[in-house]
Amino acid sequence: MYFNKNLLWVKVLSWRCALGCCCMHTNMAEPMELLCWGGDWDLPSVHSDSLIVLAYAKFSGAKLAVKSIDWTWRTITASVPQLHYEGSTVTEPAQILNFLRKQAEMKLYIQLYLLSATKSKMTPTCQKKIKTRITELEKGSPPCRFNADYELTAKQGADTMAYIALLEEKLRPALLHTFWVDAENYVNLTRPWFTSHSPFPLNFFVPGRQASLALSRILLTKAESPLLNITEVEGKIYSEAKECLNLLSHRLGNFHFFFGDTPTSLDAFVFGHIAPLIKAPLPSGQLQKHLNQLDNLCQFCNTILKNYFTDASAEKRMDCSLTAPHDPVDANLQKLTQLVNKESNLIEKMDDNLRSSPQHRHETKPSARASERNSPLLSKH
Amino acid sequence: MSLAAEAFVSQIAAAEPWPENATLYQPLKEDQILLSDSASSLAVQTFLRMCGLPVLVSCRANAEYMSPSGKVPFIQVGNQVVSELGPIVQFTKAKGHSLSDGLDDVQRAEMKAYMELVNNMLLTAELYIQWCDDYTATEISRPRYSSPYSWPLNHILAYQKQWEVRRKMNVIGWSGKSLEQVYEDVSQCCQALSQRLGTQPYFFNKQPTELDALVFGHLFTILTTQLTNDELAEKVKSYTNLLSFCHRIEHTYFKDRGRINAA
Repeated sequence: MYFNKNLLWVKVLSWRCALGCCCMHTNMAEPMELLCWGGDWDLPSVHSDSLIVLAYAKFSGAKLAVKSIDWTWRTITASVPQLHYEGSTVTEPAQILNFLRKQAEMKLYIQLYLLSATKSKMTPTCQKKIKTRITELEKGSPPCRFNADYELTAKQGADTMAYIALLEEKLRPALLHTFWVDAENYVNLTRPWFTSHSPFPLNFFVPGRQASLALSRILLTKAESPLLNITEVEGKIYSEAKECLNLLSHRLGNFHFFFGDTPTSLDAFVFGHIAPLIKAPLPSGQLQKHLNQLDNLCQFCNTILKNYFTDASAEKRMDCSLTAPHDPVDANLQKLTQLVNKESNLIEKMDDNLRSSPQHRHETKPSARASERNSPLLSKH
Repeated sequence: MSLAAEAFVSQIAAAEPWPENATLYQPLKEDQILLSDSASSLAVQTFLRMCGLPVLVSCRANAEYMSPSGKVPFIQVGNQVVSELGPIVQFTKAKGHSLSDGLDDVQRAEMKAYMELVNNMLLTAELYIQWCDDYTATEISRPRYSSPYSWPLNHILAYQKQWEVRRKMNVIGWSGKSLEQVYEDVSQCCQALSQRLGTQPYFFNKQPTELDALVFGHLFTILTTQLTNDELAEKVKSYTNLLSFCHRIEHTYFKDRGRINAA
């Protein structure tokens, strides 16, 4: 009786989830819409932040309806990339990735709950915890974090945050300079591209506005005093960017992706930053020359483009998924079964996520936390 | 400094050993220094202690203006002046003292990445709380920052600094964040640091590095500084291994001065 009632609840939830949830296996009634800049130079988008979101969506199998803002008034009004879903809007690559991850996590918990309902290996307390977590996710709290990528360990999640901070701090100023401030590149490549992709009369304003934003960002964050001008800062930001690229190359080594064989959010961020630098036909690109010498990063970028963004491979994957819809589902459930059988690891990890979520922390007093951590998993109700 | 000037300075630096009268300059400890400056200054002091290099701490009201980059703290060694932790680490390396020599390339990449994480999240959050939160800015930051000066200079300088910081926050996209979001970011950062540290004594197991100095500087200052509310300190306190990390470094490197007096 207990199981039937809960099964019904989960079925309703998963039906609602299936309507809007991004997942490979359910049919989408209303896909999520992503606004971003259009593509060129063999890339799906020329804009770094949009590339990050597009790459992550491909990695996680999320179905996004990509709408380019080229030749619309959104070139000046919208902050790109932007995700629209069920009336709500999410901007900034980090927030969008969190949102996509939340959808994927919800799907995982639901499948796990379904599995637990059919196999009685899971204790009722664990089931209750999973149910609580699903309800929390549905309500939209607590917020997900980078280290909530469930396929990564805690340390790898922390590393992700650190490397993303490194990219933002060291590489982004040099990228902004290469595309928007360097006179030769701006006049010969960036400005013509953005002018030709904006409607009249915005084509007079859009590139200039982006360029001044880029310049002010570089000067405010990197110029050490208001008296320094851009030429003195140039040397510093390029040397920092080259160092950053070297560090990334050392970290990647000979692997396909940064954390093993499957791509994660860090791979999406790195791809978004370096792909325009590799592919754009820049007239004067000292950073590009430096990057071309780092073979493993170029290889990384080309691998992602080949496997996730070319139409041929996309068609092949779509065919597979249409003709055999049940196989991926079964494979995933099998994988989940294995996870459930290693119950202690997974539940502990989910329990850690629950414990470390800020909402959970607010409910418990700080002094009681130490004892709580040591008490057995199942004693808390 | 341009690259050529930096290389030149490194060469000169390598020529002389570390003198006895090296001095570190920071704003006045009791009245003027703010949370972010105090954190940076403590990080540099910790780093120099870890290297075993003696340095005298001197508090000046105009330290910010004396500094070559406009940021505190800065050290004067012989006839050279170097500011901020990054250049100071390079400078001491040129003199032959380094904490991160034992690390391989991947570990060095990780260390730099984590240092950027601390700078990106913790330092920016500290600046935000000090200058973009109206209550804190009015009650604490502006009065303290302008305390050595008389009217009307104190008003002008305080508002100028606030405007500068708010512009910077605007450009990096933090101006749209609410205070709760900033606290959440601090919590995320602390969680990442806590997970990286795990149960090890230092971030790269046995030897302290500049990352340990930086993290200690920021966390200790957050824990011991009195702001308008205690929420920031509470966020840090919830990670027990970070607390024990701070205690350990304080006892190891600062025991001769008793407890460090924080502003």
